[in-house]
Amino acid sequence: MAVEAALNALGNGQIDPLKIGSITIGSESHPYAVKPSATIVAGILGLPEELLAADLEFACKAGTAGIQLLSGLVGKNGKYALAIGSDVAQSKPSDVLEYTAGSAAAALVLGKENTICHILDFTSFSSDTPDFWRKDTEKFPAHAGRFTGAPSYFAHVSGASELLLKKTKMKAADFDWAIFHMPNAKFPKEAAKRLGFTPAQIAPGFVVEQIGNPYSASSMVGLCATLDIARAGDKIFMCSYGSGAGSDAFAFEVTEKIKAHQALNKNTVAKQIKDKAYIDYSLIAKNILTKYRI
Amino acid sequence: MNSPVQIWRQHKTLHNYLNKIGKLLVWTKILVAPQGFENQVPYLVGIVQLTEGEKLPVQIVDCDEKDLKPNQKVQVVIRKIGKARSEDVIEYGVKVKSI
Amino acid sequence: MKILVKGVGLTKFGELWDKSLFDLSLQAATEAIQDANLSAKNIEAVFVANMIHGKLANQDLLGAAIASLFNIKGASFRVEGACASGGLAVHLAIQSLLAGTYKNVLVVGAEKMTDVTISEITSALMGAGSEAERKAGLTFPGLYALMAKTHMQKFGTTRNHLAAVSVKNHYHASLNEKAQFPFEITEEKALNSPEICMPFTLFDASPITDGAGAVILSSENTPRRRALTPSRWTAGDVYITGSAVATDTVGLAERESLVEIPATKQAAKMAVKQAGIEIADIDIAEVHDCFTIAEILAMEDLGFCEKGEGGKFIVQGTTKLGGRLPINTSGGLKACGHPVAATGLKQIIEITQQLRGSAGKRQVKDAKIGLTHNVGGSGATVVVHVLQT
Repeated sequence: MAVEAALNALGNGQIDPLKIGSITIGSESHPYAVKPSATIVAGILGLPEELLAADLEFACKAGTAGIQLLSGLVGKNGKYALAIGSDVAQSKPSDVLEYTAGSAAAALVLGKENTICHILDFTSFSSDTPDFWRKDTEKFPAHAGRFTGAPSYFAHVSGASELLLKKTKMKAADFDWAIFHMPNAKFPKEAAKRLGFTPAQIAPGFVVEQIGNPYSASSMVGLCATLDIARAGDKIFMCSYGSGAGSDAFAFEVTEKIKAHQALNKNTVAKQIKDKAYIDYSLIAKNILTKYRI
Repeated sequence: MNSPVQIWRQHKTLHNYLNKIGKLLVWTKILVAPQGFENQVPYLVGIVQLTEGEKLPVQIVDCDEKDLKPNQKVQVVIRKIGKARSEDVIEYGVKVKSI
Repeated sequence: MKILVKGVGLTKFGELWDKSLFDLSLQAATEAIQDANLSAKNIEAVFVANMIHGKLANQDLLGAAIASLFNIKGASFRVEGACASGGLAVHLAIQSLLAGTYKNVLVVGAEKMTDVTISEITSALMGAGSEAERKAGLTFPGLYALMAKTHMQKFGTTRNHLAAVSVKNHYHASLNEKAQFPFEITEEKALNSPEICMPFTLFDASPITDGAGAVILSSENTPRRRALTPSRWTAGDVYITGSAVATDTVGLAERESLVEIPATKQAAKMAVKQAGIEIADIDIAEVHDCFTIAEILAMEDLGFCEKGEGGKFIVQGTTKLGGRLPINTSGGLKACGHPVAATGLKQIIEITQQLRGSAGKRQVKDAKIGLTHNVGGSGATVVVHVLQT
């Protein structure tokens, strides 16, 4: 999935893979505990060997952490940076989290020229909060039930978001669109409301009702879906959330280059959601048995 | 254990196939799988001819047999090959999906 | 050329749990040596055909291993060419006789396939395909299914045509006490059997089999200076008069066409030329029906009928015992069984027995010129022999 998302990004942005100088892949389902996904993806994409490659983990915000970390490297030696969030969500069979377990990948190419949107500013807010975890030796994650709400998701999303609004001296109404990490359909709607965002603002990026929660890709897929319909000059607010816990908040401004990008993009989020096939839980159960050698 | 070195050599060739388009010359459905492919059964396999002329045997993914038409247009995707055993390195390779 | 088939020996083919590869080889070779009226002391070289014993049982060095069963201290070799291993071993043995290096050689083809699971065997047999085919999970039934599908699309060949091959070969096998499946089947049974890999059902595919076949080849009755006229050959003796090998790509995708095996055409042409005959002179043939489509392709590529007409040809009855050109009177690979490397030997042995007049209930009247056709992989290697009496 990370490869496919990256290929789409390189194609839509007409970017030469040999110009990528750094890559991060954020996930909580890296195929190996030891052996980086970043180099496997870089190898398949044909990226140059002179490359800063790293895997990131921070539950569902591993992908957006990459955007923040790589933003400092952008433009060095005329190189671009590739930030990917990709996950195959695991959940314990018969646990309530099974309802929302989803899989997806989103890729952003960061650069100094030809940008489709600028990063106006960002903040990050973290604390040691045990709401959702999986030890290295365990197959499935565990969580703390209702504790995952107020002290976890809401505390950190509002923490990062309020800091960003203060820093940029902006209000919710100054933005055209907003995306929040979507572990379910309820939390992001509530978080948006509390910060003053309207349902219309979060609508284009609100993918959870159709695709569930693809962990590190959740807010980034929402961002891509929003960029698929945004217009030059639009301001976009995004806040991810990773259990354990932390939030990354961003303010973006869309440029005129977005039009050319939209024209080239044959694989919009909406189109991919439309081209779906329903599968039976028996297939999912079989896949779980196979994957974990149960 | 599969050979990590053989996989390493193979992976170096994958970027040559990215995004390639082709047509499906003929396909069938495998019901009895070789080792490593048991969990994928039944799966579709066929021979694809890429636009540049190269013909290769590939697995056909993300579609139902009934959706395939003669000379079906397909695109290369990179996916996992078989299922790695506990100490194996994971192998990725060329497959196609209908477009 | 004129190489005497001095002795033959064949085990029963089937699921032979209590026999090892060495038991089978010993049995077949002992029978062949006795049939040749020789003793092991006379054997100067042993050619062992085998495809997968190294992989499945970790035993390599089969040339020496089998020669040692008879205390033979001369030359020994293992020959591998997937399902054509048997034919290839015979071909190489013949070359050594033609070169004058040896005068009496033993060729043994043996395979032990039932000691492992279906999944392991399916994987092992994919060694006869290309790496790309293995990565695609394209098994041998799959490869031949692709050829069958294309043949059906291009020439209108039907599943009934394919089933006809199976029905005929089962009929022949019912007359062969060495066959794995010595019983007749109906077309209905073939068509309605479990799907393997469309368009194939269970009865379109040759089985997993254990077995061994052996021949003693000799140059001692052949003067090296001039070819003898047929009237001076010893009545009842069978000679190999043509032996040819042709090669093509291992992978099916790289081949020019999915509906023909060019190596068959080439090998047949050369073998027939060596024997100084035309393809129309062939009275009886053993062809490589690893899957039913393979027999149809063989008849076309050998020149018994036009390309594309194989389906129509088989339903005419010409190739059934009693017809003008019986094919696979042993039961073929489908019904006699297919212990991979033993098949090439079995084919030589069947034709030899037919030309000697010792084929019992399967005897073809007045068979004088026979042909064997042995294929490796999906058409990568083909060996054709012509035998005459």
